Amino acid sequence: MKHEYKETLLYVENLSVAYDDTIIIKDINLTEKDVVREGVDCTGQVIAFVGRSGRGKSTFFKALTGLVACTNGKILIRDFENSEPNAAKLVKEGDIGFVDQKYTLFRHKTVHQALKFSLRKTALSNAEKESKIKEYVKLWGLENCIDKYPNELSGGQRQRTAIIEQLFSSDNFIVLDEPFSGLDVGNIQEVKKSFDLLCKSSEFNTIIFSTHDIELALEMAQTIYVVGYPTINGKQEKYGTIVAKYDLRDIGLAWTEFGEGHRKLYKEIVHQMMIS
Amino acid sequence: MIKILTPFEKISKTNKTLILLGWLILLIAIWFIGTSGTKHLFPSPSQVLTGFTDLYNEGLVVHILHSLQLCFLSIFLATIISLVFAYSWPIPLLKSISEFVTKFRFLPFTGLSFYITMVIHEARTMQVWILVIFLTTFLTTSLIAVIKDIPQEEFDHAKTLKCSRLEVLWQVIILGRLDYVIDVIRQNLAITWMMLVTVESIVVASGGLGFLIKNSDKFMNTGRIIALQIIILLIGLGLDAGINFLRKTIFRYSKI
Repeated sequence: MKHEYKETLLYVENLSVAYDDTIIIKDINLTEKDVVREGVDCTGQVIAFVGRSGRGKSTFFKALTGLVACTNGKILIRDFENSEPNAAKLVKEGDIGFVDQKYTLFRHKTVHQALKFSLRKTALSNAEKESKIKEYVKLWGLENCIDKYPNELSGGQRQRTAIIEQLFSSDNFIVLDEPFSGLDVGNIQEVKKSFDLLCKSSEFNTIIFSTHDIELALEMAQTIYVVGYPTINGKQEKYGTIVAKYDLRDIGLAWTEFGEGHRKLYKEIVHQMMIS
Repeated sequence: MIKILTPFEKISKTNKTLILLGWLILLIAIWFIGTSGTKHLFPSPSQVLTGFTDLYNEGLVVHILHSLQLCFLSIFLATIISLVFAYSWPIPLLKSISEFVTKFRFLPFTGLSFYITMVIHEARTMQVWILVIFLTTFLTTSLIAVIKDIPQEEFDHAKTLKCSRLEVLWQVIILGRLDYVIDVIRQNLAITWMMLVTVESIVVASGGLGFLIKNSDKFMNTGRIIALQIIILLIGLGLDAGINFLRKTIFRYSKI
């Protein structure tokens, strides 16, 4: 399927994070652009990060969402409030939504209260907020649990609420830390559906997720980054960085059924992970 | 039979009730048999019953109300003060003060009451403030422990929803843990109730259960003392159950 790269949505340059004297991640560089497909109204961006445990994926996500300060480098995202082409802004807390593995929600707020709270800083009127909540709750199948507290929700309902909440509050970017970990087949299908809904709801929606399931990453993402320890001058360093990038759109594997090409790439990704 | 002696074995509700009833009957039987002779350390059931009747005729209900009033007033004041210390714990400048308050729980009771006696002269007010000061140290310790137990994910979640630092404090700690405040009060109730009776017997005012124990103690009336202990225990358990019920009723989301 023919596609075209438009303006830059996410730009990360020489990103490093260190806790005290320990470098966790270093020299991370990436650029993600808006992609438009011929004959398709809305194509959100889905980016996967894979890598062995302890290579700094979670730290990278925390830096990306502004929850951890960068020691070096910068993270820029498209400034949607500025109409000028390619207008960008430095990321700060709250610009990029973050859904953790536990799908954390406010324990004292019902689904409705939580969604209303996440819309509190928008310019919408009260009636518009209510209508937006109603629309999303219906679309995402949460109508029956609008007045339920998180402890009364199922894992899938919690996850959907967490995603909508972040979507309402952030600027089209959502980072999910291992959204598939510990889920059964049914719940994985629900997360996949959520990704589809996100991609179809706005051209600029960008989903960034980490996973240990490479097959799922290949099935869902358009770009896959491998995070691992780099080998420099024959010596393996002890900090995480991007060791490989696979753009599935350019190699013709994006938006297609899982096939032989995916299987070959699977082996290549596993190899990259093992050597880093 | 073997089942009820096997560790971690699950038994039915009926069996649980039967076991509990069995132990109760055994306890009562031991009490009756152990106190049937002429010489016994523990008062007999009839002595305790007489103790109950005497206490009732002497205005037991008024004394209970007196103690409960003191209990609620001191818990209320101590909770307000403890919340101020606990909620200011995340603020770097005030953290040391809150931590310092928690250390006071190791101070002896009598030493501090000596200083309070010099400042406050009215016995009832003295009782209230001795309790408030001691309770504050325990409640602050428990409340800070609740805050320390909040997972980092909850703070991060609030921050990703564009909450300012004060909003994080309000949403995650103050609103998000309101049910825990009730639970902390419930957990500290046993110590409150125990201290209250002691304070009432040390600083003698116009009445209260501690005052009654002190009087009974003076005349070696063991029947009355045990009757009072039973009353104190039952009221304590009642308060514990009442507060727990209140927490579950008010906070639907509370699953502690």
